[in-house]
Amino acid sequence: MSPDLNVLVLHVNGADLSVAAPPHWTLLEVLRYRLGLTGSKQGCDKGDCGACTVMLDGKARLSCITLAADAVGHEVTTIEGLVTKDGLDDLQKTFDECGALQCGFCQPGMILASRACLDRKPDATRDEIKEALASNLCRCTGYTKIFEAVERATRRGKAAGLGSRA
Amino acid sequence: MNPRTPKDAKAPPPAKAPADRNDPLQHVRSPNRIFGPEPPGERFEVIGKRLRKVDAAAKATGEAVYTDDIALPGMLHGKTLRSPYAHARIRKIDTSKAEALEGVHGVVTGAEMPTRFGVIPWTPDETALAVDKVRFIGDPVAAVAAVDEETALRALDLIEVEYELLPALLDPAEALRRKDVTIHEGNKHGNITKEVTLEFGDVEKAFAASDFLVEDDYEFHGTAHAPIETHVAVARYGSDDVLTLWSATQIPHYVHRALAAVLGIPAPRIRVIQPNLGGAFGGKSDPFSLEFCACKLAMKTRRPVKFLYTREEEFYAHRGRHPMRMHFKSGLTRDGKLTGVQSEILIDGGAYSSFGLVTTYYSGQLLTGPHTMPNYKFHSTRVFTNKPPCGPKRGHGSVQPRFALEIQLDRLAVLAGIDPIEVRRRNFQGSNTTTVNGQRITSNGFDQCLDQVEAASRWKTRRGKLGRGRGLGCAGSMYISGTNYCVYPNDMPQAGVQIKVDRSGLVTVFSGASDIGQGSNSVVAYIVAEELGMSVDDVRVVAADSDLCPVDLGAYSSRITFMVGNAAIHAARKIRDQVKEAVARAWGIEPQRVALAGGYVFDLDDRAKSLPTAQAFALTEARYETLGSTGSYNTPNLGGDYRGGTIGASPAYSFTACVAEVAVDEETGEIQVPHVWTSHDCGRALNPILVEGQIEGSAYMGFGEVFLEDHDVNRMGLHARPNLLDYTIPTSLDCPEFHASIVESLDPEGPYGAKEAGEGPLHPTIPAIANAIFDACGIWLTKLPFTPAKVLAALAAARANPPPRPSPNGKAH
Amino acid sequence: MLRLQPFEFVKPKSVDETLALLGKHGRAAKLLAGGTDVMPNLKHGLYEPEVVIALSDLGELRGVRLAPEDARDSGALEIGALTTLETVESHPLVVARAPGLAQAAHAVAGPTQRTMGTLGGNVCLDTRCVYINQTHFWRKSLGYCLKKDGTLCHVIEGGRTCVAAASNDTATMLCALDAKLVIRRSAGTRDVAIRDFYKADGVFNQRLEPDELLTKIVVPAPKRGAAPNGGALTTWSGYAKLRPRATIDFPRLSVAIAFEADAGEIVRDATLFVSAIAAVPRRIAGIAELARGKRRDDPEMVSAVGALAQKVTHPLTNIDGDTDYRRAVVPVFVKRALLAARPASAS
Repeated sequence: MSPDLNVLVLHVNGADLSVAAPPHWTLLEVLRYRLGLTGSKQGCDKGDCGACTVMLDGKARLSCITLAADAVGHEVTTIEGLVTKDGLDDLQKTFDECGALQCGFCQPGMILASRACLDRKPDATRDEIKEALASNLCRCTGYTKIFEAVERATRRGKAAGLGSRA
Repeated sequence: MNPRTPKDAKAPPPAKAPADRNDPLQHVRSPNRIFGPEPPGERFEVIGKRLRKVDAAAKATGEAVYTDDIALPGMLHGKTLRSPYAHARIRKIDTSKAEALEGVHGVVTGAEMPTRFGVIPWTPDETALAVDKVRFIGDPVAAVAAVDEETALRALDLIEVEYELLPALLDPAEALRRKDVTIHEGNKHGNITKEVTLEFGDVEKAFAASDFLVEDDYEFHGTAHAPIETHVAVARYGSDDVLTLWSATQIPHYVHRALAAVLGIPAPRIRVIQPNLGGAFGGKSDPFSLEFCACKLAMKTRRPVKFLYTREEEFYAHRGRHPMRMHFKSGLTRDGKLTGVQSEILIDGGAYSSFGLVTTYYSGQLLTGPHTMPNYKFHSTRVFTNKPPCGPKRGHGSVQPRFALEIQLDRLAVLAGIDPIEVRRRNFQGSNTTTVNGQRITSNGFDQCLDQVEAASRWKTRRGKLGRGRGLGCAGSMYISGTNYCVYPNDMPQAGVQIKVDRSGLVTVFSGASDIGQGSNSVVAYIVAEELGMSVDDVRVVAADSDLCPVDLGAYSSRITFMVGNAAIHAARKIRDQVKEAVARAWGIEPQRVALAGGYVFDLDDRAKSLPTAQAFALTEARYETLGSTGSYNTPNLGGDYRGGTIGASPAYSFTACVAEVAVDEETGEIQVPHVWTSHDCGRALNPILVEGQIEGSAYMGFGEVFLEDHDVNRMGLHARPNLLDYTIPTSLDCPEFHASIVESLDPEGPYGAKEAGEGPLHPTIPAIANAIFDACGIWLTKLPFTPAKVLAALAAARANPPPRPSPNGKAH
Repeated sequence: MLRLQPFEFVKPKSVDETLALLGKHGRAAKLLAGGTDVMPNLKHGLYEPEVVIALSDLGELRGVRLAPEDARDSGALEIGALTTLETVESHPLVVARAPGLAQAAHAVAGPTQRTMGTLGGNVCLDTRCVYINQTHFWRKSLGYCLKKDGTLCHVIEGGRTCVAAASNDTATMLCALDAKLVIRRSAGTRDVAIRDFYKADGVFNQRLEPDELLTKIVVPAPKRGAAPNGGALTTWSGYAKLRPRATIDFPRLSVAIAFEADAGEIVRDATLFVSAIAAVPRRIAGIAELARGKRRDDPEMVSAVGALAQKVTHPLTNIDGDTDYRRAVVPVFVKRALLAARPASAS
């Protein structure tokens, strides 16, 4: 049956979590089926759709083709981790406000890819947003309202006085 | 015009008259209630506003629970053994070694679930697992439940199946021709699953009276829904002998019925729940193998069982767009009037019937608007092939012939020297009319749709003037808002809603509808909030749970807003009337003076006199009884008086016009689509954001079908692209800018005048792009997908043989 | 969900430790860098390693720098094998010294794959074929193929050599730039010209032993000096790719050109590679003769070079997409590569 379990200490959403998992489990499997962080979705099995996107050390990462063991020592942020005591992330709000969510299945990955993009480029243009989201497939929206949501977040960031850090 | 009684080639009565027909209920069909487009109060407070969806925050934070997010104590994991052969007889299955494997708790084969089912009860040709034959590579053969997926997979390797290979039919024309190979033995008509011929008027006469005729072959290829969430189901068989199934389905009610029939247990002992759904587009509207297998194995093992399909299995489950080979002929008079249309369509059905009976009718029946079509004949034949079964994909059955018709209309317009938008205007059928095949058209804003896309695309100043390689094209379409054809005949309502009013002021709506991302739960909440003058935040929707919610038939045929919306008004208005009555009595005024709005109940003549809604509810409860109501909707009797006349008959039709802009790279045949303008008549837009989202998503999906997506098998019958790397769906960098606009031709029967928005807007995208390519470089592409290879070949052919017809826009070709 | 087969996982802290592990496990080990190629292939059962060696802790193999002046490769661009493609495409040194490589790196997959995938990983990308990059069920239903588990080729009837295609965008460009690979094993280090690194065997197209590790990619310093006509010479490079979508997809045609030109953009020497055809990126011989002395965008030269490339390029059904079409557009993509080419600058 299952091979030996390893105990991994993963740093997820700001906390160190010990989890027992076989060494060949992906980060997505561990997040979803061990840690109960089911916000990260499985869509394509192998890195083609982006629904499993998390942030690893602040960069977008496909968790379905990342071994959990390989994520040890890195900072993992999932969609659940964007909600803080101050409330929802700006992008979570703008996706809601702009009607960017239809079935919602690609959105956790889409929001995290957008967050990784805006963290590096808070004033990203529409073309830069399109480029940054190109690994994330959405089947419902035609992307239009997703672009609007990310653009609205850039404007909100600007209004809050965040210039480009570049 | 009365439709002529048509000649029906196959006269296909239901194999067995459904038992319900002899039921004493048959003459008490539930009534059709019409509420009209007006607001319940002085003005709309909720409806028409750009509101957030009720479930959006949960989805944005990852809180929303989808089926694979469910984990039950002791849950086993199921896997399916699939056929490696496209066509074979099963001689023997030996599961003993698999059953002996440590960690395996149960194995099931087709012999244990031999009852045939089909979403259309007249064509039950599927079994949960293959019983005697396999009919395509990927056909389910056996299933295992084990402690984890890895063990289940190892067990599959231990199942021994002896096959006797049969010739595989991969081409529909060959399947039609071959009499020696029958995919479904016992089918009366060889490999034909359905054949329909209907004629309305006299097309031969019409063609003789035409000034211009066009006649061409068209091909529409297979495409997949490719929702990002694959099929997934979790079943639990409790100690109370209640079977509960959570499934990523868009038709929980039909799944409920199919489970009872196949598993042989009474329907009251089954509960079907549809959790949040990660996209469907028609791909989750059949009962699927994994639903039966999860249930059967849960019953056998007495442990919960989950099946999660891989992306590859999703492609095998399929039910995607039917490939169609179409021959179309159309005629036009010199002044631009369409005289008649005739089509001959060969439909590749894949291995099973699925919705095929309806598909075959829809391939003809849904084409008779928005252009007046005085004479029409179609002959459609659906055949079985040894490929994954086709079914309903967004714009079921009619996207393909619409592609052909709208190109023919442009070709005729070019011959007649009339602007393509103008030719559509001249044939506009108008509202409150009946189509040649007997469909009742009520509201129709197609003319306004044309105006909108014409203006938005700056058509008049830009078409034909963009220079070589760039062009604009237009197309139109119509689609149903639900159908009065229930897949099993009965006289009960097609949609139901129940409302419970809490003393806290919370209103809970129990809706049978499947929210598949289109926002039906939000729509129900908006409607109830509007009717009761409340904030949407105080309305909670519980949906798609057979134990809790009244029956709704499911998310297909673009029926939910229209039908469930009306049911919700019906239910809410009962509460509203009670509240008005109770408050009026308390205040000693006439009920007509009582209004509900903004969280208050007040006196229209003395607005200072008011009560918070919660208090009004308490007053009403005290006056009457525990507050609750039901509402339902049923279609009026619709459709032509001939066999098949009800298929495609809808209480209302939506209309769409589209203009696409293309840029053709004549060196490589690559085509960019910078813009798509889509204007859709959805009646009243209950929430314009949601409507725009449906328009944009539809246009996106059509765009993908034109250039990128191709669901097919290779020469061995293996799926050619069973993953999301090779089955290329458009990315953020491929998509045009989609410009959605809304026309609100308030429908007399829709909820507040609303009609559908989810499927119609896909249709014209595809021919609009084809027509734009003609404007750009003078070639008519008629075979989808428009790969760069086909574009280059067509350009080369045009250079070798310049068309004799007049140039469309004055450019040299 | 597609599950991985069990294996052991190790994450060495240094190159030396990695080499020791490779020495110990040999063919039973699989190296894992960004995972964008290895992980899907593992999920498809194309490899059945006992041990997966993750390279993510080898910070020493990350980074871009110019070889110091006293070094043998003075002025060359040294790129650690684990440098991500995202870094390669945007690093000022790469953009300045080897613009074609920045273009090729940008052309790989999609943005998230490029934050994960590495240049070394792309150089070592496994060959691809429509009959191999499939699940185990699919391949079993097919009856397997030459590359894994089978004896038949489904691309070429009766074929005995696997023709799975090199599909790595950067390899085509690095070949055109005549880059060098630095490969280490416990016993020492060897350099190999990337042009000699690949072999015409789709089963495994790399001259890399099981105990070896690619550590560095070295792009020679751009040509410097005076052209015979007095203008300053520099190296230009450009990349063009045919794929169905604007992102994500592997190439259906991969074209890279590097050439020397003077200040008047007159070409002195040129090298053209075409890939995504067979197991090895193919050098198109005779290009320099056609291009020499012509301006880089001279239409006659461009079409002559394109025609020559087309003549010797014969796409197969190993990759999805019409083969005649892929051949027909070779000249267009040669032209696009030429027009995309930018000169190396000294910064």
